[in-house]
Amino acid sequence: MEQTNASVTRTPLDSVAVKRKSKSRSYRQSYRSCLGVASRLGLTPARRLTTNRKAPESHNITVNPEHLALLVKNEWQLAYVTPLHQFRHTQLRSYARHLSAFVVAEKQQGLAVEVSGLQNGFKASMTVVQGMSEADDDPETVLIQIHSKPLFSRPDDPQKLVWSGWLTCINGNPEYLHSLPKDFTCLPLFVYKGAENLSSLVKSWVQRTFDCCFGPLELSQTSLQWLAALWTNCHAESNIQHLRMLWTLPSAPPLQVTYAVDPHDVWELWGSVRKGSWGDGAGEARWIDLEEVASFMQSLKSHFYRHFKLDLSAGILNQVSTALGSARFNGRIKISNSAYVITTLTLLTECALLKMPI
Amino acid sequence: MAASLNSSESDRSSLGGQSASSRSNNRSLRVAEKERRRNEAEDPFVLALKYFSVVEAGTPVVGNDDFENNLVLVERTAYSQGLSPEAISIMLEFAMSLRMGTAPCARVLKCLIPASVVPQEAVVRAAVWLSVGKIPISTQVLFIKWVLTVFDMIDAKDQLRAIYGFIFSFVTEENLCPFICHLLYLLTQKESVRVYRVRKLLELQSKLGRQPFLLHLLSLYKVFCPELVTLSIPSRMRGAFRNHVSPWKAALTAVQKRNGSLAGSSVSPALAVRDKSGSRKRKHCHLQLPALTSVASDGARSEQTSSRTLVPLAHLQSFDQLLKNVHRIELPAQMGSLLGSSVALQYLDCIQDESALLRLNFWLGCALHEEFLFCGDGATQTSEALQFLSRLLSAQHFLQEGFSSSDAFLYKFLNVWDGSLLRPQILCLLSNIPVIPSSQIRKLLFEPLTQLFFTSSLFFKCGLVECLNNMLLKWLTWHSVYALEDDLDISLNSHTSLNITLSGFKDSVMELIHFVGHLASVGLQLEGCHALLLSFVLDFYETVCDTFLKFGLPLVVMPPAGVFYPAFFATDPVSVDRLAHIMHRYKVNLTSAKRQEKQKEQAFHISRQTFQEFNHCVVFMVNCLWNSRMFYPGSDVQPGEELLLGSGVPRYWASFDFIHHPAFVSYALDFHQKCWPSRKEMDLSSIKDSKPWSWYLDYLFSQGFDGLKDFLKSNISRQAAAVDEQQR
Repeated sequence: MEQTNASVTRTPLDSVAVKRKSKSRSYRQSYRSCLGVASRLGLTPARRLTTNRKAPESHNITVNPEHLALLVKNEWQLAYVTPLHQFRHTQLRSYARHLSAFVVAEKQQGLAVEVSGLQNGFKASMTVVQGMSEADDDPETVLIQIHSKPLFSRPDDPQKLVWSGWLTCINGNPEYLHSLPKDFTCLPLFVYKGAENLSSLVKSWVQRTFDCCFGPLELSQTSLQWLAALWTNCHAESNIQHLRMLWTLPSAPPLQVTYAVDPHDVWELWGSVRKGSWGDGAGEARWIDLEEVASFMQSLKSHFYRHFKLDLSAGILNQVSTALGSARFNGRIKISNSAYVITTLTLLTECALLKMPI
Repeated sequence: MAASLNSSESDRSSLGGQSASSRSNNRSLRVAEKERRRNEAEDPFVLALKYFSVVEAGTPVVGNDDFENNLVLVERTAYSQGLSPEAISIMLEFAMSLRMGTAPCARVLKCLIPASVVPQEAVVRAAVWLSVGKIPISTQVLFIKWVLTVFDMIDAKDQLRAIYGFIFSFVTEENLCPFICHLLYLLTQKESVRVYRVRKLLELQSKLGRQPFLLHLLSLYKVFCPELVTLSIPSRMRGAFRNHVSPWKAALTAVQKRNGSLAGSSVSPALAVRDKSGSRKRKHCHLQLPALTSVASDGARSEQTSSRTLVPLAHLQSFDQLLKNVHRIELPAQMGSLLGSSVALQYLDCIQDESALLRLNFWLGCALHEEFLFCGDGATQTSEALQFLSRLLSAQHFLQEGFSSSDAFLYKFLNVWDGSLLRPQILCLLSNIPVIPSSQIRKLLFEPLTQLFFTSSLFFKCGLVECLNNMLLKWLTWHSVYALEDDLDISLNSHTSLNITLSGFKDSVMELIHFVGHLASVGLQLEGCHALLLSFVLDFYETVCDTFLKFGLPLVVMPPAGVFYPAFFATDPVSVDRLAHIMHRYKVNLTSAKRQEKQKEQAFHISRQTFQEFNHCVVFMVNCLWNSRMFYPGSDVQPGEELLLGSGVPRYWASFDFIHHPAFVSYALDFHQKCWPSRKEMDLSSIKDSKPWSWYLDYLFSQGFDGLKDFLKSNISRQAAAVDEQQR
């Protein structure tokens, strides 16, 4: 704890400490009201999204192709999780056993279930996804899957995957990660798909086991605009095919606007708003500024206004999609190209960290 | 050893031969004992007991008058005054051993109403008979039911716990199972939960289906060893074991009442069933306190902790138990659950583990954020939010400080708050905010609060001033308790020093006082010096004027003119009186500060300006009230002579003296009438004469204006008063 005054000598826990203080006057405050993380972050209320970030590069991430395929082909729901207490990557096998038993017990209210026994209804598995981490401080990503056997199936039928979810942290803010005590693991981004009741069961199990909290992660306007710009920026390497945006305008009745732009046009527009070393220096131009994103969106809006006399800035951006992926403001996201997974997840991790209460 | 005189005790000790040595020490006691034994020898009840203890096996029951008479005798005693422990032992042994066959067994069991306690040995012996004898199943059930009914009166449980495995073996007996499960529930401890027992119960479950008794026993197993078993109890199955036999219970209470000792029965188990989950479907359910559950220890952790057996907090139900186990308590799986139970809250007060508190703060912060900040559709269900905040507040009140996550939440929430949603709760939370460094206090607190203050109703203004007063009080109290001067500091290790220096603290307090002064000045103007608001403002300055003497903070801040003059010119005497009281306390504080300054040179320094401001106020008050000289050189208000004459107010210089001040004029009239009842003409200035003047003052003081009394006493000496009168 950084507030701990160096002049105060630590004494054994079980003894009453009688100490002579140095001349400087100071106050004691109880642990409860001056937690290291809390007091510092509590006093700086406005944490914001970073204003500039690295342009996406196609990564050849060395992830199990099976996992990658799972991640890429589905649409996912986003949530944030507060840091997990006493989570051990080495204990996943035992966690999976507990989770299976928990799911079965909750599904069959009023029936006790042995934890180490074999569950025939549901089988949960938890695995570390090797390679799904970027910075050194990032804890390894964990994949949770639940398999189940359909009710009327033959005994030798294979179990079907009914639910999957990821707990991940890509390029998490190192300052925040370091401020947490050792027994916390910060995997702030929870990405999942599957039956609603299974999702809530898994959440409540994780909540009870690691004393954390879940909350929905919506994508703000800024995040969606960032995604639009980041994906557009990839067009040179990988065809985005179109940039489609969905706006809702507050008229009565509400007006839905689908705004699709040709990839070449949008690429050119993006090029025109990019500042400085556009095209030349291969290394330095890899940073994108929030101003660029803003003027990119502004140009798109003014173009629309010229044609339809509708100012989109009055409305809400609901959805952004390209061939690389799509994202909706209610926190549903689809990543279609595995090469840009890291970029997208970095942005999402940042959004999730912003939601942390302390 | 007064208790050993009691016949029951002595008999038992003669059976067990335990306290023989203590008795041999005391001759007279032994003599008394013998005497009594001789008396008892003739007691038919004792003879009856003797009959049952020595009756030979195989004695016929039918037509046995001896047996019948003796049993009737025992029954009568049992129902009237209960049976002594050794009588219970004898009768239980008699019944369970089936010495006279199975016929009298049930009848004897039914009359086993204990007068005081039930000896554990008797119960253990009887339990052993269960497996030896050929007792009919219905009687076995009756016996277990009897044990359950008198469970609280069994004098010790250690031996019963030692035969846990033996008792457990009866669960397979289908008819006994519900009752055995209940008994096991009462006896279970952490070490009795084993994998093979869990498996046995689960096997039974698959055979018998969802039985509440199995579930409740298993749920207790889950409390102790969540790593072995998991389950969720549906709300319809919430009822605990219902195995008491009411006639027994009634007889027992009757006997206990007669004996004047009502042992509290705590047999009914408290279950950790989730409250009302599912009863109300909500989209957001962040405001639900998690249930107290214990941690599922995985392999690695259980090895570490096996040396010290930990007690799950979920299993403790009273403060006594908490005290006994306070050195080996295992924190619950979810720290948020601590807020839900009063016992746990006691424990929270002594937790020093940073991670544990961080967990609590994560949960609390998340709940508050989700409910009040992130939930965009504004579907806050106020009744639940109210309940949640009240619980949080009572916890904070108990701990006498806030949680850092709720502070962090408030800093954000104040910017979006409309000032009316859950106002009392939010203001109360706000008053728990700890000292904020003066560099940040403006941005975090003052800016949003200023906006709220000037756009809200009078009642919000009053509420906010009250809240800030409470905040100041808490800060000052915190200072007076925790300020570390150069003295010896005797402290438990639960505290750490914060990087806030005395001068930093003083700055923050000063900022707060100035801020409230500013709000109050403008607020009073906006609301036309509303008496209610003024009263809250004066409350605040009652705290401020005493910072030095009451809280030991060398800081004196005078009220601004915008507060002082409205209070002085108020039309209600209470405000003027309170102002006088405040000025009096300022004087006491300042003089004692000055005295200390002289004694200890380095002590501290109160600026000249403060003294000047104070003198200015006092001179003004004395001139107005006492000297009838409202306008004098050097006062704040010095309108031109012509202006005053033009106003047409007669004797304008005296309009705010004790007689003409609007707050006191009614008292002056009343006094005038009482003083000169015969006078037809009212002449208030006649009170000014020296004698009526002092009577008038006494009259005012008798009306309870202690503030004025103190103020005059400390600011106007007798001599000065005398001189004044001469001048007049």
